[in-house]
Order: sequence, then structure tokens, then C-alpha cells
Amino acid sequence: MKLKNKIQAILGASLVLSASACESYLDVNENPNNPQDAPISGLMTNITYETSLNVYREGSAVSSYVQYLASPNPASSSDTMEPLNFSSLWFSLYNVMTDLYTMNEKAEAEGALQYLGAGQVLMALNLGMTVDLFGNVPFSESFNFSTVTPAYDDDQVLYGNVMSLLDQGISNLQATSTSSIGNDDFIYGGDIDSWMKFAYTLKARYMIHMKGDAGYSAAEVLAAADRGFTSNAENAQVIFFEQRFNPWAQDAINNANLLLTGWISEQFIQALDGTSYPTVDPRLALMVGTTDDGEFVGTVNGAGRGDAPEQGARSTLVEGQYYTTRQAPLLIATYAELKFIEAEAAFETDKSRAYTAYLAGINAHMDMLSVNSSDKEAYLADPSVSMGADALTLDDIFKEKYVAMFLHPETWNDARRHDYGYKDMTLPDNINPDLGGEYIRRLAYPDSEVSRNGTNVPSVSLLDRVWWDQ
Amino acid sequence: MKKNYAMTLLFLFGFLASIPLYAQQTVKGRVTAQEDGEPLPGASILIQGTSTGTVTDIDGNYSIEVPNADAILVFSFIGFDSKSLPVGSATTLDVVLATAASDLDEFIVTAFGISQEKKSLGYAAQSIDSEAITTSRQPNIVNALQGQVAGVQVTNSGGAPGQSARIIIRGINSLDPSADNQPLFVVDGVPVDNSTVESGGTPRGMTNRIADINPNDIETMSVLKGAAATALYGVRAANGAVIITTKKGKVGQVQVNFSSSLGFDQLVKKPELQDQYGQGFSGVRNDTSFWPSWGANIADENDPNYVYQDNWTRAFNTGKTFDNSLSISGGNEKATFYGSFGRLDQEGIIPFSDWARTTAKLSGTVKMSEKFNFSGSINFSNSGGNRVPHDRFLERMMYWSETTDVADYINEDGTMKTYGNTNPIYDARFATYEDDVNRIIGNLNFNYSPTDWLMFSYRLGTDFYSDSRTEITPGPMGIDGEQALSSTGFIEETRINSKDLNSNFYITLKKQWNSDWNTQLRLGNDVFERRYDRITATGSNFVIPGFYNLSNTTQIFASQGKSVRRLVGFYGDLMVDYKNFLFLNVTGRNDISSTLPKENNSFFYPSVNLGYVFSENFDMPSWFTFGKLRASWAQVGKDTNPHILGATFVSPSVFPLNGQVGFSKNSTFGDPALKPEKTTSIEFGTQLAFFNNKLNLDVTYYKSNAQDQIIPVPISDATGFSSYITNAGEIENRGFEFVIGGTPIERGDFRWDVTANLTTNRNEVKSIREGIDQIVVGSQFGYGGATVTMILKEGEAYGNIFGASYVRPDAASDATVLDRSLTQLIGANGFPARTGNQLILGNAVPKFFGGVRNQFTYKGFELSFLIDFRTGLEQYDQFGNFLSAFGKQKDSERRNETVVFPGVIADGSQNTKAVWLGQGVGPDGVNYGAGFWRNTYRGVSENFVNDASFLKLRNITLAYSLQPQVLEKTPFRTARISVAANNILLSTPWDGFDPESFSAGAGGNAIGFTGLGFPGVQSYFVTLNLGL
Repeated sequence: MKLKNKIQAILGASLVLSASACESYLDVNENPNNPQDAPISGLMTNITYETSLNVYREGSAVSSYVQYLASPNPASSSDTMEPLNFSSLWFSLYNVMTDLYTMNEKAEAEGALQYLGAGQVLMALNLGMTVDLFGNVPFSESFNFSTVTPAYDDDQVLYGNVMSLLDQGISNLQATSTSSIGNDDFIYGGDIDSWMKFAYTLKARYMIHMKGDAGYSAAEVLAAADRGFTSNAENAQVIFFEQRFNPWAQDAINNANLLLTGWISEQFIQALDGTSYPTVDPRLALMVGTTDDGEFVGTVNGAGRGDAPEQGARSTLVEGQYYTTRQAPLLIATYAELKFIEAEAAFETDKSRAYTAYLAGINAHMDMLSVNSSDKEAYLADPSVSMGADALTLDDIFKEKYVAMFLHPETWNDARRHDYGYKDMTLPDNINPDLGGEYIRRLAYPDSEVSRNGTNVPSVSLLDRVWWDQ
Repeated sequence: MKKNYAMTLLFLFGFLASIPLYAQQTVKGRVTAQEDGEPLPGASILIQGTSTGTVTDIDGNYSIEVPNADAILVFSFIGFDSKSLPVGSATTLDVVLATAASDLDEFIVTAFGISQEKKSLGYAAQSIDSEAITTSRQPNIVNALQGQVAGVQVTNSGGAPGQSARIIIRGINSLDPSADNQPLFVVDGVPVDNSTVESGGTPRGMTNRIADINPNDIETMSVLKGAAATALYGVRAANGAVIITTKKGKVGQVQVNFSSSLGFDQLVKKPELQDQYGQGFSGVRNDTSFWPSWGANIADENDPNYVYQDNWTRAFNTGKTFDNSLSISGGNEKATFYGSFGRLDQEGIIPFSDWARTTAKLSGTVKMSEKFNFSGSINFSNSGGNRVPHDRFLERMMYWSETTDVADYINEDGTMKTYGNTNPIYDARFATYEDDVNRIIGNLNFNYSPTDWLMFSYRLGTDFYSDSRTEITPGPMGIDGEQALSSTGFIEETRINSKDLNSNFYITLKKQWNSDWNTQLRLGNDVFERRYDRITATGSNFVIPGFYNLSNTTQIFASQGKSVRRLVGFYGDLMVDYKNFLFLNVTGRNDISSTLPKENNSFFYPSVNLGYVFSENFDMPSWFTFGKLRASWAQVGKDTNPHILGATFVSPSVFPLNGQVGFSKNSTFGDPALKPEKTTSIEFGTQLAFFNNKLNLDVTYYKSNAQDQIIPVPISDATGFSSYITNAGEIENRGFEFVIGGTPIERGDFRWDVTANLTTNRNEVKSIREGIDQIVVGSQFGYGGATVTMILKEGEAYGNIFGASYVRPDAASDATVLDRSLTQLIGANGFPARTGNQLILGNAVPKFFGGVRNQFTYKGFELSFLIDFRTGLEQYDQFGNFLSAFGKQKDSERRNETVVFPGVIADGSQNTKAVWLGQGVGPDGVNYGAGFWRNTYRGVSENFVNDASFLKLRNITLAYSLQPQVLEKTPFRTARISVAANNILLSTPWDGFDPESFSAGAGGNAIGFTGLGFPGVQSYFVTLNLGL
């Protein structure tokens, strides 16, 4: 009996104790690795960093379509314009837009209107890039987990969002803010004036895409251009780090290490080496490497390197040039680009403004690459370059913009608007037979979307054009 | 608060320790067979109405402590009539057992290390003994289970030293591609960690942690298969449990056992390769070409610098294994002890791969009185080695020129010797990844029995390990003209600390109501905690070449991942036994998990099972020895991983940059309303024995449905997340298990025993949550769009492999499964047309698998062999895809042939167009570009999704034990020498390396992708066992 009592007492006591202790003992599920919340400035840091990488990722994806780069291997599917799975690019774009959505919400709640304004500008940029690649994409039902299968919005409607985000961004950047952007901003380090100019430059960029559409106004483009960048010093860019090299530099390093990548297309080489045009462009030697014999030899898209060895026989990206220095800037939008947009917008109405802007664009890019003045003058003096306002053609503007926008994804938008009308540009070897002898007009929706959001994904072919490319 | 809990336990401890101790009685004796008077080793002795028992040693001797003179001892042995004898005042009880007659009294160790009569079980369980475990000399005890247990599928992930093996019981129970579906491993009543932590980068063939246990220390392993068998271990045993009982000291003289084994490994099988064409492309020789074998005909070149090098033989070494183990055990009536040391050294067939394990174990039992006893054990192990990047090794072998000697890999100055491509052996030697694991597993057991119907038991188990890993890839040495493995080089230091704590307290109440009714009730509390912390620091870009330290790098990134998981369970287990022929067992358990939302974190699940020994109830013909029917129904709950609920932010490891730390929204979102998973299983079975146990049969049907599966569902990135962890579906597994065994011949000294098992499994994805169409489990790369994906869809089986195929015009437009028998469409170019439309090309889950073990003994000789097989499955042969891309497969010897592909052309008529298979311009003047294999063949997944069935001679062993009359003249008590071979015969339709190997490691569910993993090996061993 005594023993039984003892047992009962112990059991009773331990049950009571354990019942109360249990709850707190088990309350250990808060994530020790990931915080529940993050400061606006931390989001800003990652957003600016990742946005620049998105420009790289997109540039990397489309550089073979515009024949900046070519694969060393024959019939490489990026060269031959086959449908590729861009799931990771899609993820990166939506990942940054999700962070932007979150940051903008927080910034609005806190009255941190500078952050909100910059956030809206970058949201416009990332959304614009996404629409330009894929056409209709999810946006209005996105980022807030209201559904696991967000609907796809019309691409033309989304361009309205891009424009209004830029306008809101401009307005918020000028408003009184509870906190100021600083070194957490990898693009401008908190320089609001530059942010404003960046926003106007982007307005010009996205409006010029609409050329030919009912809503297009050359005057509006020119008005935006007037308030955009005024020099290379205002270029939107992220300067890379000792701790993390510029990704184009990394490609050049990898290629040197025989992880083959960054081979230059014959199209690009011949546009600059005097083959397609009468002049030899002094920028060529500052942008790409030579063969062991010191020559510029490109690779034909889709053909591969043939019998050429892996090194020394073709031009590739090489470490240490403007685009490929370890701590080189990764360019998001440049003064040169704006000048060519201005030239194109003014072309119909004001030839002389167009011509001035065209020359300013070439100058800006040459300055950026630090072309020495005699080479620069010689190039600009060539009649095929300085043809005069009356002789200037759209082809000339697109050609010089093509050079000035080396590796930048905006060139694919230009190529599609210009119907791939670059001099001597030909379809790649071994082109995807499904294209029926035409150039690619959009990217296929990524496998991840098809498998996860299949009912909403529009059925498209690679020849279906985005709305502004009709 | 945690303190309170610990206080409670301490209080209980104090209470237990304060109980006065009483003396008890020891009974010794010898058990022999009536027929020949030979001793019966391994016979069971059980104190009736208790779970206390022992077994006889090799000479048939036993010793057991009994509580009092009223105790009744039950002596039993398979194939013999059991005997019950009252102890009375006897201290010696010699027992003679008669062959034949009724029962099949076999004991099996079940939950909490409790030895239970197999006869009383209402569910299927199977055990294997120490000899079957150590015969195959597998250093990893998971491998030792291969082919031996019905319903258990063991897959070697490859032949690397220390490489993981995967064990799955009754099919995959989770839709989660990354879920670990392996059973819980329990050593001496305490669960231990069996996780496999793969390397972050290229696969390295890491170890599953149960391999830290020395197989020589194991007495038996039982496999508890259904949920019924594992209800008492709770959520962690939802996939079954492997119960390991280690060797214990026995009463009697001190015994010393020494075992030494030397083994050699070789590549078991390689793909059929062409040896006629060398380095180059388009039939043209080029000694610096990237292309290893699309070049010129070697015979035509007739140049000593351009000959076939047989690199696939040269690149692999003969692996070596040296395994030594020493144990000392003994004891008296009061206490027993067992101590052992083990050392295993292994070198793999891939150069520079090695692994070693040092183990030390000490265990003991103390019987303070007939009421109180305690035992404890501590097991230390140190393991690790250099893990070569096997996947990358074989990939680089693929790229390596067939006309350049791969083994000539290094220049005098230490740089790589190469014509351009990376030499695989150089990479294996210098791109190192070493792990060093120190682990201590300990447990303490206390049993206090104040009266004969009541017992308090407490078990405390700890399992701590630290895993220290260093990965180094050198950068350039700064020597002119060198080709470095990496342009910067890097060092990655990883430190893992894992601590498991298990506490289990239970009370056993027994009552014999009358001669018919016997009951036993067990009530308990179980607490589990795992703390895990992993820190990784990576430095790249070495300043001083060859000096490998983090502080010698210019770019350093660090990351940390830690977790805590806690579980508290309360359980009850009632066993009712009516007249020793009807057995009912009811269990209930409530678990509370720290990983689930608070409102859903407590969950109850019951089980019931019934065993009916009808042969004791009816008059059976004399040849019908034993018959039992059993049925069970059980549920088991399952929680999830710690720290996954809700939305969080992450700081990408690239930061800090310029002193700034960025944050990004985590792309994984854990449903805040997550519920526990629930698996419901039913099982029916029968156990039969005939002709005095000369033949026995065990048949089980099982079906389990895992509902409310917690799955990270991939969702549109546009939602703001990429992965949504929620309760998303149900999967069903069903099948039969057959175990048939017997002794077909027993004449004089000759005996032949055979055991065979066969398992069938069918599974189906019953439902996927609305709004989610399919779940991608995994995919593996193939050249030219041949990438295959494993996708789950409602109504389809688990394990379907999707990929590209040839166009077949007669296939239904909505067909989802490839029908290979239909005619192919031949394109206008004369080659078969391909479609990227993803069809089901095969299924990676075997429909049948099993094994047969035969054992012949004659006097001191013993010959045994184990054959196992699996069939009804397909796998993706990534290796085959690579071979065809690089012109290395045997079939590419046809590269100068002109053929007409069978099939129809677009208008439906038979194809007649002749085409050349080679590269460049053919004899017909047409330019064929990269040729048939590169242009067409390699891009069609169906060419590489092939039957992966096999039949293996898993092990054959010939042993001789010295006979007693010889031993008497030696100082030894026992002496045995054996020679064994593993995997020496392999029959399979698979063209490639051993189809069993896969590159992903044991941790996940993405089966069916063989990858370029470490190839399987065949081994030869000589083993010497000596006993003093």
C-alpha cells in the first residue's frame, strides 16, 4: 500500500509537471537561421545587387540571338534558337520583384518614400524586362500568395503598369522621406538626383519600344530623354566587388580555365573589324580578345568552332577589359543608350537633333571605354560614321547602338523592333527547323511555370511576338 | 521550463535508486538434442510470464537468473518441442529437447529491445543473426541486409569506400522528393541517427551514419515492417524500424574473440565500349581535340602514339579492405561485460578514395538483486576518409581521349599532364574532400521490479557526433603553361555537430488472471531531442599557392544552419493472451512535436493486431506442424522538419559586400496550418510450418495509405514563393511478402538449409491537392534534350520517368505512356524523328524483388550463398547518354555503315532512304554533320531508359571450423577460416556499370537516375575468426 501510494504520488506529480513543462519545452520552432522580418535597407541591398545580375542573366540568355556571342560547340541550342528552359531566369526575375513588392509595402507603411520611389523604379525595370522576354506574365495576382496559380496579365496592360510605376517612383523620390537611402543602394549610393534621371531614362527606353503603336509619342520620349542621363557618370550600374567578381569577368576567367563560354560571334567581329562596314572600330580591341596570332576571329553561330582548338584560335571575352575586369561595373542603363533612344525618337521629326544624339551616343560609349582621342577622332571622322544629318538612317542608329550596348539584353528588344535588320546578319547554322527560317521572337515559358501553373500559361510558339513587336 | 522536465526525471531516478535490493537465484545447464545428443547453440530460455530470457552459447550452455523458486523456465528451439520446467531448488537444469512436434517458438526482438515470442505477434517481422550479418563482410550493416529480408529493399549507392546504402521498407511512403523514407535504426533500445549528409557540391559518396557501427558487435537485427510493429516508437519509425541488438557478455568464462579479414575489390561490370576509333572529330585524328573518340580509325593510323589505351581498366585500382576486430566478454551471476575494438581500412577502386573506421565499445549489465538490474553501453567511433568526386571522375573519364594514357597524369613539377582536358586521376588526387567523424553513442537502462507483476524501466540514450569536413581544390601553382583545376582554387571548411537525446520511461504491469487469460500492459513516456548545427566557411583565390588555409584566401563566405527538434510521446500497449493460441495487442500513442503549428502539434494514433495459432485449436494432420493467422490495423502520425513554418527572410551567402548585408524573402513558405501526416496500414498474414519444421512459409499482404502528406509543393515563382510546404496528397503502397524456408536435407552430419523471400510492390499516387497538377520529384541531365524527369501525377504510380522519344505515328494523340512496339516515323533526312513531348518511358520502382540463401554444413565445413534479384523496373542510363555523345559506345563502331532505318515516312509508306551513320560527308556525298549518334540518338531519352533488373550472386562463402577434437590440442576455443566473394556473378540486361549504383546518395527519393556514380564492385575476402 505504502509503495502504491508512493508510485501514485510520483506519477501524479510528474504528469502535472510534465504537462506544464511540455508546452514550453516544445516551443523551439522559431527559425534560428532565417529572421521573421528584414530591414528595408537590407532588402534594398539585395534588390540592387540582384537587379544588376538580372540584367547579366538576361544578357547571357539572349546574347547569342543578337549574335554578340556564339557557342564553341556546333548546333548549341542557344545559338540555334531552340526552345530552352529559362526556369532559373524566371525565378530570379520574380524573386527580385517579390522582394520589391515586400520592400515597397514596408516603405509605404513607414513613410520611407525614397525607398518606395527607388523600389517602384526597379519594379518597373524588372517587370519591363520580364514582359519583353515573355509577353503576357503574372503580375496583378502575384507576390502576395492570394493564389498558388496566379493569372497571366496582358503584356500591353503590363506596359501601362511599367509606365505608372515609373511616374509614381519619380513622384515618391522627390517626396519627404522618413529615412534616406545610403550605401545600402549598390546602384547610386543614395543619390536621389541620379535615381530621378534613371527613372526618366527608363521611361524613354520603354516608350521607344512602343514606336509604331497608337499610344506612342515621339515628343514624350524626347521629353523624358531631356530629363534623363546627362553623362556617363550617371550610368545606372553596380560596380562589382573583391569578394564577388563581375559575372562577365567570371565568364572570361572560366573560359581561360577551359570551361568554354563567352566566345564572340563572327557577326559582332565583322561589324567592327571593317568587314561589314568600311571602318575598323577602335573599340573592338577594348571589348574582346584576339587569337594567339593577334587576330580577331569570330565563331559562326550554330556552327561551333569546327577544328579550332579550345584556346587561342578564336576571339573570346578576356579578363581585364572594360566589360570583363573583376571589379567592372555591370551596366543596367547608360547615357549612350539614352542618346541612341533620343536619336531614334527624333529621327522622324528632327533629323539634326537625331544626328547630334547619334554622335553623342558614340562619343559616350567611346569615353566609357576610354578610347584614346586620336582613335576616336579618326573613327568619328570616317564618312561612313559621320555621314551627316541628312544621310543618317535608322540602320546607322541601330548599328551604333548595337555596338554601344554590347552584352546588354536591350539589344534583343532592338533586334526584334528592327527585324534583325543588322547588316550581314544571317540565320545561325543548324537553326531550329520549327522556326521555318525565321528569327526567334520571344522566349518559351519556363518548364517550372508549365509544370506548376500550367492551366494559366498561354500556349505560344517562339514566333509569336510580344505586343510591341507586331 | 526544460529544467522542470529534467527535474521530474531526476526525481524518478532517485526513487528508483533508493529501492532496496534483493538476492536472486541462478540456474545453469546445457541444452542438447534428443536425437544425437549434440548441444543446441542459440536455444531460447525464457522465464514464463516475463520477457526475461537468455540463449545458449555455442556449446549449448546457458545461465539465467530467476527471481524465485516458483519460476518456470521455458526452453525452446526452432524445430524442437519446447519444454517448461519449474526451477524449484535446482541450480543446474540440463535439458534434452525432442525434435519435431508442435510449435515454432522463435523469439524476436521487438520495440524497446523486448524479446517476444514470434508466435504471439499479430504482424510480420523478420530477423537475421550475426553470422548472416558478417558473412558478406560488408562494412555497412545496411548492406548486410541486402536480399535477406522480405519487403526490404537495400540499394547500394555505389562502390566507394564508406559510401551510403539506402534501405526502404515496403515502398516509398512519401511524395516529398527530398524526404528520407528510411526506417528508424534502434540500437539496444535507443534510436540512433542514420542520416546521410551529402557534400554541397559534386556528389562525394558520403556515409550513412549507421555505418559507424561495427557489424562485428551485432548479435541480431530484426526488421519491423508495418506501422503495427512500430507504433511504440512513434513518428520517427513511420517508415518501419531496424532493431539492432548488440553482443553482450555471458555468464561464464571470459571469452576473447578475434576476427581478421582481408578483402579485395574490383569493378564488377563496365559498359561495352568501342576500341577502334581515337581522339578527334569527324573521322579526323586530332591529338589535342576536345573530342575523345570521334577521330580516326586506330588501325588505319598505324602509329604507336595513337593506340587504344584501355583507360577504363587502367583508371581503376584494386580496392583493399582490412578489417580487424577484437572482443572480450564474460561475467558472473551479478554482472557481465562486453568490450571490443574494431579497425577497418578501405581503399576504393577509384584512385585516392579511402575510408577508415575505428570503433571501441564497452557494455555491461549488473544485477543488483532479483528486483533491480541495470546496464549501460558506450560506443565510440571515428570514421572518415578522402571522398573522391566520383560523379565528376566518371564524367572526366568520358571526356578523356581513348588514345591518351589516363594514368600518366602528372608532370615532374606537380602540374597536370594533359593535352587539354582535365585528367580525372589528377582531379581525384588533388581536389580532395575529407571527412572526420567522431561519434559517441551511449545508453543506460534501469529495470526495477518491486513485485512480480510490476516493473519500472528507464532508458536514456545519447548519440553525439561531430563531422569535420575539409574540401580543397587547388588553384594555379604559378608555373608557366600549367593547366590548373580551378582558376582561383578554394577551401571549404564544414563543421557539423549533432546531438540526439532519447529518454524513455515505462511501466510494465503483468497479470496472469487464470490458466487461460494472461495480460500485460505497458505505459510510457518518450522524449526525443535533436540539436544540429552546421557551419561552413568557404575561401577562394589562394594568395600563396599550395598553402591551404582560410586566411590565405581573398574571398571568404560563411554560412550557418542550425536546428532543434523535440518530440514528447505518451503511449500505452496492452497484450492479451488467451490459452496461448489467441493473441491480441492494442496500442495507442500520443505524440507532441515541436515542428508543427501549436494548435496541430499533438496527435493520437492507435493500432490493433491479432494473432491466432489455429494449429493449437484444431486437430491437424501430423505433417502440419504449425499454423497461425494474423491481422493488424494501425495508424501512425508523422511530423515534419523543424523551422519550416511561415515566411522568413534569408541573407544570401554572398553577403557581406562592401560592408552591407542584403536580405531576400525566403522562397519557401510553410503552411501555418500544417497538420501531421497520417499513415494507415492494414496487414494480413499467415505463418505455417510443415513436416516438423522441415518446411515453413510466411505470407503477408500489406496495404498502407499515407494521407495528408507534408510536401514542399513547387508553386509558380510569381506567387512570391517557389515552394509551399503543405498537406498535399496521398500515396498508397500494397503488395505481398513471401518467406519460405526449410531444411530439405538432413542426413547425419550433412545439412542443407534454405531461406527465400519475395516481395511485390505496387504503389499509386491516390490524390494531389486541388490546384496542383503534378509534383516534380527530380530530373537528370541528358544531352540534346534527353533530360528525364520524375513526375508524380494523380492516379499514376510513383517513380514514372518522363522524357523525349521517337515519333510513332500510330500512337494515340493523348497517349501518356510510350509504346515501344509501334512503328517509328522516319524524317525526310532518313533518320528517325524525335519528339520532345514528355511521355512515360518507364518506372523506377521494382515490382518484384527478393533473395535466396542456401547453407550447407558438413562437420566443420559450411558453404553458403545468397542470390538476390529485382525486376520490373527501368532506370535512366545517363552514362549511356554521355557515351553516345562522345562516340565511346560499342555501337558507334558502326560509324562507317550505311543503313536504312526501319519505319514509315510522313506519307505512311515504308522508309527506303539509306543514310550514313558517321560524321561529315558520307560516301553518298551528303554532309551528315555531327552524325547519327550526336544528331539523333543522344537526344532521345527512350534510348537510355532501360530495364534495370538484375540477378546477383550477392555472396558466396566457404568456411571451415576446427573440430573440437583438434581444438583440444590448441589454446583456442573456436577457430574458423572462411573465404567469401561478393557480387561475382551479375546477370542483367543493363548495359553500363552495375545498375544498382546511383549518384544521389541514400538521403532522398529521386531514384531511377543512375547518374555517373561510383561504379559497383565485386569483392573477395579471407576471414579468420579465433576464440579463446
